[in-house]
Amino acid sequence: MEIIISILAGVLFAVGIYNMLQKQLLRIAIGTGLVSHAAHLFILTMGELKRGAPPIIKEGITEYTDPLPQALILTSIVISFGVTSVVLVLAYRTITENDTDNMEQLRGNKYE
Amino acid sequence: MLFVVLLPLLFAFLVPFLGRAKKHIHTGIFVLLVPLIIFIYFIQFAGSNFQTVTKTYNWIPSLHINFDFVLDGLSLLFVLLISGIGALVVLYSIFYLDTTERLSHFYVYLLMFMTAMLGVVLSDNVFVLYTFWEFTSVSSFLLIGYWHFKERSRYGALKSLIITIFGGMSMLGGLILMSTITGTTSIQGMIGESSVLLESSYMPLIIILILLGAFTKSAQFPFHIWLPDAMEAPTPVSAYLHSATMVKAGIYLIARFSPVFVTYDSFFITVTVVGILTLCWGSYMAVRQTDLKAILAYSTISQLGMITAMFGFGTEVAIFAAVFHILNHATFKGSLFMVAGIIDVQTGTRDIRKLGGLFTFMPIAATLAVLGTFSMAGVPLPFLNGFYSKELFFDSAVQGMQWDSSLLTTLIPYVVVIGSIFTFVYSMYLFFGVFGGKKDSHALTAEPKEAPIGMLLSPFILVAGVVVIALMPQFFNSALLSHASEAVFGSAFSEPIAFWHGLNTPFIMSLIVVALGTVLVLTRKKWAAVYRALPGKLSFNRVYDWMIRKMDSTSASITNTYMNGSLRLYLSIIIGAMFMLTFVFMYATNGFTISFDNVAPVTALEMTIVMVIIIAAIATLFMNHNVAAILVLGIVGYSVAMLFVLYRAPDLALTQLVIETVTVALFLLCFYHFPKLKKRTESVRTKSMNLFISIGFGTLMAMIGIAAHSTDWFDKISDYFIETSLPEGGGSNIVNVILVDMRGVDTLFEITVLGIAGLAIYSLVKLKKNKEAK
Amino acid sequence: MSNLAILPIILPLFAGIIVAITNKHTGITRLLTKFFSVVGLAFSIYLAWIVLNGETIVLETGSWMAPYGIVFVADSLAVLIVVTTNIVATACAFYAPHSLPESKEKHYFYAFFFFLISGVSGAFLTGDLFNLFVFFEVLLMASYALIVLGGGREQLRESLKYVLINLLSSVVFVTAVAFLYSVLGTVNMAQIAERIQDVEQQGILTTIGVLLFFVFATKAALFPLYYWMPRSYTVPNPVVSALFGALLTKVGVYSILRVFSLMFVYKIDYTHTLFIWIAALTLIFGIIGALSTNNVKLIIAYNVIPAVGFMMLGIGVLNQEAVSGSVFYLVHDMIIKAALFMIVGVIVYVAGTTDLRKMGGLIHHYPVLGWLLFISALVLAGVPPFSGFIGKLLILQGAVANDVIVVVLIGLLTSLLILYSVMKIFIHGFWGEKDATHVKKSTKGMIGPIAFLIAISIALGIGAEFIYPSVESIATYLLDPEIYIESVLKE
Repeated sequence: MEIIISILAGVLFAVGIYNMLQKQLLRIAIGTGLVSHAAHLFILTMGELKRGAPPIIKEGITEYTDPLPQALILTSIVISFGVTSVVLVLAYRTITENDTDNMEQLRGNKYE
Repeated sequence: MLFVVLLPLLFAFLVPFLGRAKKHIHTGIFVLLVPLIIFIYFIQFAGSNFQTVTKTYNWIPSLHINFDFVLDGLSLLFVLLISGIGALVVLYSIFYLDTTERLSHFYVYLLMFMTAMLGVVLSDNVFVLYTFWEFTSVSSFLLIGYWHFKERSRYGALKSLIITIFGGMSMLGGLILMSTITGTTSIQGMIGESSVLLESSYMPLIIILILLGAFTKSAQFPFHIWLPDAMEAPTPVSAYLHSATMVKAGIYLIARFSPVFVTYDSFFITVTVVGILTLCWGSYMAVRQTDLKAILAYSTISQLGMITAMFGFGTEVAIFAAVFHILNHATFKGSLFMVAGIIDVQTGTRDIRKLGGLFTFMPIAATLAVLGTFSMAGVPLPFLNGFYSKELFFDSAVQGMQWDSSLLTTLIPYVVVIGSIFTFVYSMYLFFGVFGGKKDSHALTAEPKEAPIGMLLSPFILVAGVVVIALMPQFFNSALLSHASEAVFGSAFSEPIAFWHGLNTPFIMSLIVVALGTVLVLTRKKWAAVYRALPGKLSFNRVYDWMIRKMDSTSASITNTYMNGSLRLYLSIIIGAMFMLTFVFMYATNGFTISFDNVAPVTALEMTIVMVIIIAAIATLFMNHNVAAILVLGIVGYSVAMLFVLYRAPDLALTQLVIETVTVALFLLCFYHFPKLKKRTESVRTKSMNLFISIGFGTLMAMIGIAAHSTDWFDKISDYFIETSLPEGGGSNIVNVILVDMRGVDTLFEITVLGIAGLAIYSLVKLKKNKEAK
Repeated sequence: MSNLAILPIILPLFAGIIVAITNKHTGITRLLTKFFSVVGLAFSIYLAWIVLNGETIVLETGSWMAPYGIVFVADSLAVLIVVTTNIVATACAFYAPHSLPESKEKHYFYAFFFFLISGVSGAFLTGDLFNLFVFFEVLLMASYALIVLGGGREQLRESLKYVLINLLSSVVFVTAVAFLYSVLGTVNMAQIAERIQDVEQQGILTTIGVLLFFVFATKAALFPLYYWMPRSYTVPNPVVSALFGALLTKVGVYSILRVFSLMFVYKIDYTHTLFIWIAALTLIFGIIGALSTNNVKLIIAYNVIPAVGFMMLGIGVLNQEAVSGSVFYLVHDMIIKAALFMIVGVIVYVAGTTDLRKMGGLIHHYPVLGWLLFISALVLAGVPPFSGFIGKLLILQGAVANDVIVVVLIGLLTSLLILYSVMKIFIHGFWGEKDATHVKKSTKGMIGPIAFLIAISIALGIGAEFIYPSVESIATYLLDPEIYIESVLKE
């Protein structure tokens, strides 16, 4: 299963990046969301899947799933959320300021 | 000795205050003291019983960069020139520069140069030498740009900076190579280790780099082009830096390193060839010039070529002749520059076509000039020092070289005669063009008068030097010159210097030069066409200008090609480079492994979710409606949360659900009213490029992930967390304990990130409000 | 005692919170900013004093022993860079009030400023790879906020690109950390180093290392990953550019230095050879960029790139001289880049344009500014006796010892062109006819911080003897990962 999830995460990376290579800002923003998901899946997979109970200590259970990746993902999810919000607001402001959502029109060649 | 070397620099710090405090007194009067003191200090070392003096002052001992001053004969000759000519130049400048000029700037640069130049010729440590070397370039740059409101000054300053610093950097490369190979930073040490050095396979490169440094500094062909443009500097500077001292630093370097490369013939052959070429080219070009200072500049180039060539010959007599000529050139060329400055000031022009017949108006200046020019031309008269060294030059040219090359040995005597003929021609042209003939009363507005005594004083002293050296060569030989040539060659030159050695080959060569030269001078008008035609488009100035222009335009076109502001291109290059190079490494280190030993079983439910995620993710590409696309993204997020549930991560799943919901809401908020998603309309090329990059990168990540998972060498540190969570962390939810305790710092700063994000968003929104309010 | 190690991180964090609260009262905020930055500088010097004269301070947060908890490792390299960071920060704190319009200050500039310093210091001090990611996010988030500060159109546009590119590299970073965790079962840097050593960097490890390298290289603005950099450094206010130029790219360089001297050093034939060639290309393309423009801000921004190339060369060569050189260069470059961005900020302010072709004769009105620029051009090009020379010399000596002559020659040529590119500003901007119509603008308060930085630069060069022994021992220390591993894991 780990291999399948790795491939899944790889696919998410690919699709996410394909989206980021588009012109329209919304697609780019969606791309960033997808690559974040991919990263989180990778972290989870790297701790090995389904190797025991959820990491909550209960008497009589000796095997637990690796808790560290979960903690790391939690941190990472929250950070991604912060970054995504900034990206969204920034995108919003950029679009209103520049009257376009096309990144190719946001090149700004004029100061060379 | 360190104090004496640094004295000018230290004094330079005082100069701005002097200028401000005593407005009516010329700053130069105070400055004059500095070179005088230095001269008096160093002259005490001179004498027939001179011994090398060594002084060491620590600077950065742990890097072996120290002020190791070695005052040997060669250094002594140079320090006396630097301080002696320096004093005369400062004296001259007092009359040349008006108090309305920015005098303090001038003297600060000049004093900075003095320290730098003294440092160059005294340092035994190569990196200290380099330090001072660059500072001569920098101060020369500032002095050339002294009148920086003139376009030509800026041009000349930049040109000299680029060419000399180019040489400096090359030299640094050579010095680094040499010091790494020999393991010492001392030139004396390198002489000791020269056998190690000569065996190195880097020798050709070292020679090229060191010589680039020397040739650029000493204005050798084809790097000579900066020197004529350096004439934009005030005339005292031209006399001092660009004729007597700084331009000889390159020659000094060659002389200094000759003992290191003593058995390496290509070094000497290169030096000889370049020197001879420079001699001929410079003297030929001098004849073409119309500006007095330009004639003098090319003449300096040519004379420097001659000295370089002599060091290239490498024989005892040649080296002696070279050091002798260094001294002689400083005297007659210095005086000629000063006379040129006088003419400029008195007549308001330096254009030789407008000048003429000044002998009757300025007899003293003319007398000084006649001695200077005739000495430069090597006219066989017993009271002209130029003749003596020229004679030795011819002598060394016919005597054969330190090295073997029958072709060059045969050619050289003829070539030097040709070069010297032109030297004779421009010397005569210079003198008779200015002082001979009749005054052109239309060209000159003011009635020329003799310059004030003060201004004539310095050139007078220099011309006196010309005569005294010529009359008492033996005295200078034993006190100074023999030590200098000994420092280079290893043993002192023993032959007496005399005017008359009989009718030998060198003397005949001199006569040929004078005879043919006179013919050329007299028929100069007929040759004018030739002078104009050559070198025409071949000019190296054009090459320089072209290079600078090309450098700017090419770099602009290169940079603008890829720096086009397109995010797509940026990302493509970044991701493309990342995945391709990483693939190469994975392949090269044989990094990919796959193992199915340690994998969780696959269930239908998981597979369904995986398929949903993949389909939803791909669907984002094809959604042409904002809300739909955002919702599909939400599906991916919620499915990931489902996976978290299945994979025993309840906290994650909860967090993911909440965050995903908020994110989707935020997406909708920001993009609902925005331009609708359009159909993707990229060309096939762009599309396939995007596909290549994204699939490539995705594959890479998946492969690394699989390989990383398939490698299992160590126990995970999380076993410790499971053990200690309850007893030491006091919580049964291990993930929570990790977050708030073991990795509490992560959490603290994760909150910080959120806080900053909040503040950033707030300030972005507030900004908008402010704008609307306006 | 060991708690000192976290002070350079916590102090600016608190300072940031406090100035966020006092934000409305600009006067008080300015005063507090200056106060905290000076205090921060004083503390960092104190910390450096202790560490450089004694031993590495290792702080195990929450008393969870390494490698399980997060550790902060105040070793000689980290403290040296932290001091430099604080020097730059102090200069910026004093420069900012005179350079920023009050409206921008009111957009929480000072708070973001302190958060940035906190994140940067954290990145230098942490001994945990995932925690490094977190600090990267802190400093990036602060930089996002700073770069859009007061957002004009261009600024928003470039900021967005900047954020997106960094976002992607962060995602790759965190994924790479996960990969490493899977292979080595740890995220503690010392233990990672130890375990990589145990298995001699077999299998997929080198690949993960290269992936990490690219993440850091994107931050460090190495070829071919620097595309985001020049423009995003030129759109914000000069003081922000100075902070970015001095600190952000250097965090990337520092991380590469750390990771590729401590952890991935067992396949240097592959990895470090790559670094050397990337360094060469970085030198070339960076300086080509600097020559390509007449925009003075861009000239300086592009000049960040070849400097990174020099440091990268040192890391690639990885011998005693070269690593000393890179460390020295790192300190030097942080200071001089901050100074240069500030100088250019003042130039643009007084000239009213960024276009060099429209300037001229400024020296008649602003002589001090002109000479500061002149000196910094020499410093930047590595003309002795200034600080740039020592680092460059050591790097090149190291490279010669390892026979990478071609790159040495490229480096030397680049130095020349660096000088040319900056001297162009001096020649075309400062030299020339006096413009009689020019109304002299006040540069009050801006020259002081610049002069302060330049003075340090000069002192670093002339007084190299005072700092070089420390740098040398840092290099020795870096080249022997055992010392770091032992001081953290205490085995």
